[in-house]
Amino acid sequence: MEGDCHYLEGNLNARRRVEYVQNLLEEIGLDGRRIRMFNISSAMGAQFAGYASELAATIREVGPNPLRDYQAYLAEQQEAVASGMV
Amino acid sequence: MIVAEQKPLAEMKTLINGAENVLVVGCGTCVTVCFAGGTREADIVSTSLRMATKLDGSPQQVTHSTVQRQCEWEYLDIIEEQVKAADIVLSLGCGIGVQAIAEHFPDAWVVPGLNTSFLGLPTEHGVWEERCAACGECLLAVTGGICPVARCSKSLLNGPCGGSENGHCEIDPDVACAWQLIVDRMSSKGKLDALLEIQPPKNWQNSRDGGPRKIVRQDLRLVEFED
Ligand code: SF4
Ligand code: SF4
Repeated sequence: MEGDCHYLEGNLNARRRVEYVQNLLEEIGLDGRRIRMFNISSAMGAQFAGYASELAATIREVGPNPLRDYQAYLAEQQEAVASGMV
Repeated sequence: MIVAEQKPLAEMKTLINGAENVLVVGCGTCVTVCFAGGTREADIVSTSLRMATKLDGSPQQVTHSTVQRQCEWEYLDIIEEQVKAADIVLSLGCGIGVQAIAEHFPDAWVVPGLNTSFLGLPTEHGVWEERCAACGECLLAVTGGICPVARCSKSLLNGPCGGSENGHCEIDPDVACAWQLIVDRMSSKGKLDALLEIQPPKNWQNSRDGGPRKIVRQDLRLVEFED
């Protein structure tokens, strides 16, 4: 649970980093809702299922990653680099 | 160290607008340790720009490279070919790094990806604070090692002013009053009396007021042989 972490304050630090990544995704134009952090313990099966459904619903709303073909795109770029363009 | 922070991605996008090939250049010194422009940041920035420009429908080729020290010409030779191939160089160095690239590669168009902020140090993880304003005539010996030029909001040499309240500066309760710090430190060293001596006006000509500064060390210069 929040602040009650095996690594002491680790999950509080992690939360800030998740917020950083959310902002970065927003800046890039990828929708920051694609990443979220939930705090649950191993004994909270029902909550886990609830959060999973919540996240699934959000992701359906946000839609597929528009850069899904990014790997192919990167390969294209690397080819361009290799061919001496960059 | 020189402390800087990244410009927002949207601003960087504007700065590289229209370029087909962009080279992001990081620096391995000050801006690495303030997490603004090291190898990791150069990687994140170039990846972010690739993704962002792709999403905008006008993908730009963005590569990155990090030199050990962007503020010295000789460290820049290693990226010569990459700079030549790029339409725009986005420097993640401090303002000195940006200018070093522009001077070393006169044909290149170089833009800054950082806002160079101040000379300071990290006071805790993720927090940096200003400590020196490079005034050109250091008077830390008079003030117990606490700089009134950079840390007093009014750069008072004879302080504190009437706005000092419970150790805080009148401009903001979150800002420590430098002169309170100075008085406390001098007291703790039994040297408070030294502050009774009025400091004369400072020669600001050694600071920015005297125009761009330059240091010449004849002992270090290389002799130029004439044929
Ligand atoms: S007195 Fe001048 S040189 Fe010394 S720390 Fe302050 S600004 Fe820097
Ligand atoms: S309150 Fe202290 S730090 Fe602020 S301007 Fe006055 S002397 Fe300087």
